[in-house]
Amino acid sequence: MAETFRNAARGLMSVIAGTSVIEPEEERSISIIGLDRENLFVRWLTEILFLYDAEKFLTTDVTFAIINDTSLHATILGQKYDAKIHELKLDVKAITYHKLKIENIENNWTARVFVDI
Amino acid sequence: MTLHKVDDYRYVIPKSFKAGMRIEGLVYANEQLMKAIEHDETLNQVANVATLPGLVGRSLAMPDAHQGYGFAIGGVAAADMEKGIVSAGGVGFDINCGVRLLASEFSLEEVKPKLDELLDQMFRDIPCGTGKSGIIDLSFEQLDEVLKHGAGWAVENGFGPQKDLDHIEESGRMLNADPNVVSKRAKQRGRDQLGTLGSGNHFIEVQYVKEIFDEEAARVFGLRLNQIVVMIHSGSRGLGHQVCTDFLEVMQEAMPKYGIRVIDRQLACVPIKSNEGRNYLKAMAAAANFAFANRQLMSHWTRQAFGRVLGSSHLGLVYDVAHNIAKEETHSIGGRVLVHRKGATRAFPKYNSDIPKDYYDIGQPVLIPGSMGTCSYVLVGTEQAMAETFGSTCHGAGRSMSRHAAKKDTSAEQLIDELRQKGIHVRGASKSGLTEEKPEAYKDVSAVVDVVHNAGISLKVAKTVPIGVIKG
Repeated sequence: MAETFRNAARGLMSVIAGTSVIEPEEERSISIIGLDRENLFVRWLTEILFLYDAEKFLTTDVTFAIINDTSLHATILGQKYDAKIHELKLDVKAITYHKLKIENIENNWTARVFVDI
Repeated sequence: MTLHKVDDYRYVIPKSFKAGMRIEGLVYANEQLMKAIEHDETLNQVANVATLPGLVGRSLAMPDAHQGYGFAIGGVAAADMEKGIVSAGGVGFDINCGVRLLASEFSLEEVKPKLDELLDQMFRDIPCGTGKSGIIDLSFEQLDEVLKHGAGWAVENGFGPQKDLDHIEESGRMLNADPNVVSKRAKQRGRDQLGTLGSGNHFIEVQYVKEIFDEEAARVFGLRLNQIVVMIHSGSRGLGHQVCTDFLEVMQEAMPKYGIRVIDRQLACVPIKSNEGRNYLKAMAAAANFAFANRQLMSHWTRQAFGRVLGSSHLGLVYDVAHNIAKEETHSIGGRVLVHRKGATRAFPKYNSDIPKDYYDIGQPVLIPGSMGTCSYVLVGTEQAMAETFGSTCHGAGRSMSRHAAKKDTSAEQLIDELRQKGIHVRGASKSGLTEEKPEAYKDVSAVVDVVHNAGISLKVAKTVPIGVIKG
């Protein structure tokens, strides 16, 4: 599940910043509580979006100290947006619950999420 | 269960369409637009909205309706003020995304020779595109003033004349706004975005009036043939997006307390009179005020650009309308209700006390932007809209192709060239953003407008055609 949450964060970043190379220069530490797995997932990606939109912090990688269906504690690695080295592709307005799916099928986790652009 | 065709422009979705529907749905469309509407999840979403508690009348879809998140875009739903619900998703993420129209003193012939210079100036002066910060540097205290006073804050600070406020829905300021219920996070997202166009479908167009359908209404709105006008389409930026995100969470958490269950999490809602409901409406109003101020600032820089390049900065504000909003109104159906308009425009008729006094004898201007490089419309509100749609009509062309599909087979260079051949000059911050917004990605705005005109829920006044487009 940690890998799914990690890849979702990286996927969101690729929507926003395309193939820009983001160095792990700084880190942010966050804890999130969710109502259930889907809610936790949306709150997680909302946090990654917030770091970008409010602080211009681009995420490149994540490690989880704790992750279960309703809570996580993560260290987020990345760097501040720099117009000289990063290319921004798209503004993301929000993470939605539209057709949201997070499943574990035969020990393989998959997630589907739509973002509003 | 099939739809019931009432006439050439109305289709009823009966309660038997879906289990749990408490009211019927009603779709405004002709046969061709209906095919597009049936193609995605729109009808299902209109039916889902009809399952929410305390709605009155019907769950409505305008002819530009298309699939959204929870609520369809192009939807209208009115809730009883005492027993009904408010839903953050019923307004959408881009709170008070809307349109304003400025009318210049210039004719098409006068502007054409200086068009490129004008567009370059506007493109330099108005921040647009992904991640672009604004020119205005606000403290959090100043941002709170924007959230309280809306376009009035901009006017007080020198961004436009006082009389602009008379020609904005709500006079550019929703009075129930309370910055104290807007989260710090929303303020952090929005603080450096005031006075920015954004990306996606937001745009500024230099247009000319190509056709007039109603001479008298056009005269009252200050429009004449061949006149240059400017249309600005933008919203509440990251601040509004975060307000919606925050309250989707608040509402989801509160729903069990009120015994509310929804079939799609994006439909999360709470009673209007609950603390959560009241707080949402105060925060939504604050975000709406941010959007009114945002469009006011961009109007100011547009006027400055006209002054520098053409020698006159006089651009009168025709009107400014919200497309995504929830408002307490009085209607013949339901009495005092909260009208959710998500991708729909208020269309109040003449002699209504909520419209500007300049338009009291003619009705409210309704601004309908078309897709890039096609055309846009100015309509006027009607009594028929009050009787049927809680005083609402369509809001645009409505997307018919996904952004991904739109990008296929078209390069930005090719698109810019095609538009230039049609006499439309483009400035765009993002190449992929441009192709996503190509005209073919949208329904035909003229077909959409013909439906609302023929159904009588607003009437055509003028058609405008772009000669210059600025895209985020």
